[in-house]
Amino acid sequence: MAASASASLQSIPSSLKLSPTTGSAPNLLSVRSSVNPVFSHNLTANVNVSGTQKAFSVKSQSSPSDSSRPTKVHELCVYEINESDRGSPAYLRLGQKPVNSLGDLVPFTNKVYSADLQTRLGITAGICILIKNMPETKGDRYEAIYSFHLGDYGQIAVQGAYVTTEDTYLSVTGGTGVFAGAYGQVKLQQLVFPFKLFYTFYLQGLSADLPSELLVTPVTPSPAVEASPAAKACEAGATSPNYSN
Amino acid sequence: MAAASASLQSITSSLKLSRTTATTTTRNLLSFKTSINPVFSQKLSTTINTPNTQRRFSIKSQTNPIESSRPTKVHELCVYEINERDRGSPAYLRLGQKPVNSLGDLVPFTNKVYSADLQTRLGITAGICILIKNMPETKGDRYEAIYSFHLGDYGQIAVQGAYVTTEDTYLTVTGGTGIFAGAYGQVKLQQLVFPFKLFYTFYLQGLAADLPAELLVTPVPPSPAVEASPAAKAAEPGATAPNYTD
Repeated sequence: MAASASASLQSIPSSLKLSPTTGSAPNLLSVRSSVNPVFSHNLTANVNVSGTQKAFSVKSQSSPSDSSRPTKVHELCVYEINESDRGSPAYLRLGQKPVNSLGDLVPFTNKVYSADLQTRLGITAGICILIKNMPETKGDRYEAIYSFHLGDYGQIAVQGAYVTTEDTYLSVTGGTGVFAGAYGQVKLQQLVFPFKLFYTFYLQGLSADLPSELLVTPVTPSPAVEASPAAKACEAGATSPNYSN
Repeated sequence: MAAASASLQSITSSLKLSRTTATTTTRNLLSFKTSINPVFSQKLSTTINTPNTQRRFSIKSQTNPIESSRPTKVHELCVYEINERDRGSPAYLRLGQKPVNSLGDLVPFTNKVYSADLQTRLGITAGICILIKNMPETKGDRYEAIYSFHLGDYGQIAVQGAYVTTEDTYLTVTGGTGIFAGAYGQVKLQQLVFPFKLFYTFYLQGLAADLPAELLVTPVPPSPAVEASPAAKAAEPGATAPNYTD
């Protein structure tokens, strides 16, 4: 899903939001431009200046290197695979019912591989909170709060719906390292419940493009995918720097 | 990591607007400053370019000309988190049901938060650590921590990320309230005495205004021996933040 360049006029839709005053908290005036990356592959809300025309200028009162929060959408794909060697998941049946029920908690941690399954990047770590058992679809709804730990690259924090019988979107709540300032959403595709998942991140707010090692061409998601033997074995050359374990 | 290529034109907008300290319904206005990611020491670029495509740009104003994007100035804030063993914390729930720490163990916790100079009680931390992995080779554990810093009338800062008991880590700042509303960025966690004393350095972006001077005091250098001042420990008047969280 490469972002396509469009020659049409670009404009930033702007929405002014005034948050209501609560107590002594200051009101915020914010303008944000964003486009849901699911429906559009255009790079949006960005200033692109042709070589001959400076289409935009604003009077600068301080340093000329001021900037607004970047809105470029960066796509990143990774695989999450449970190889049953991390004691995960730990299903805590605290709801104390014979069927999955609210109260059950499921801490988990799995391995993360690059989209081409050639490189071990790190781990996921977090918790799924059972929300609802859906016997009619033989599925469950969880609220998942977890992070992707990708070694020296940094972390991506996510939160959102995990439904065992369908694809879902989760919020990207933030990041560290190369992902510092990240916001946006991530699409979760389940390949084999609960062992193999494929993620497509739509990350905004990044200060620079992602390194090319992360932007490899994905292996097409399917239930049969496996990490390469070298990546599984964490051999030198098949791991990212200081991959999280 | 290089920024975008040479012909990039960045939006330089610094609408400096006067700031009012809000105790009423007056509107606070944003100011823009340059910002640099402290971890990677590179400028935040506004945009990308698609070099082969000509685009024109126009900004549409819907109401008044005071438009702004989300501020990117990085504000550094340091605080100490200290467990004085008087809050029943931590509560180690050995739900993994194994003799060693294992996945399934959950650790709700709450500790006290002091200003960086240890003279003022600011509030508390509150949240949960999820044991991810026990690492006997380093005698440490990896947790996924999800918690907030509650700093009285100043507001809250929400964080999520890795807590490894034998090393410093970074966590994500997922948001904030009050003066921290709109916060994003990261925070560095330094452990001084496990699990009783920790030192945090927040790199906060997205704030509507500079942090108040009371929070930006000169830090006591982190060390295992640090203690809060007796007045701050006793939460005496003058040694606490307004309506400090307890």
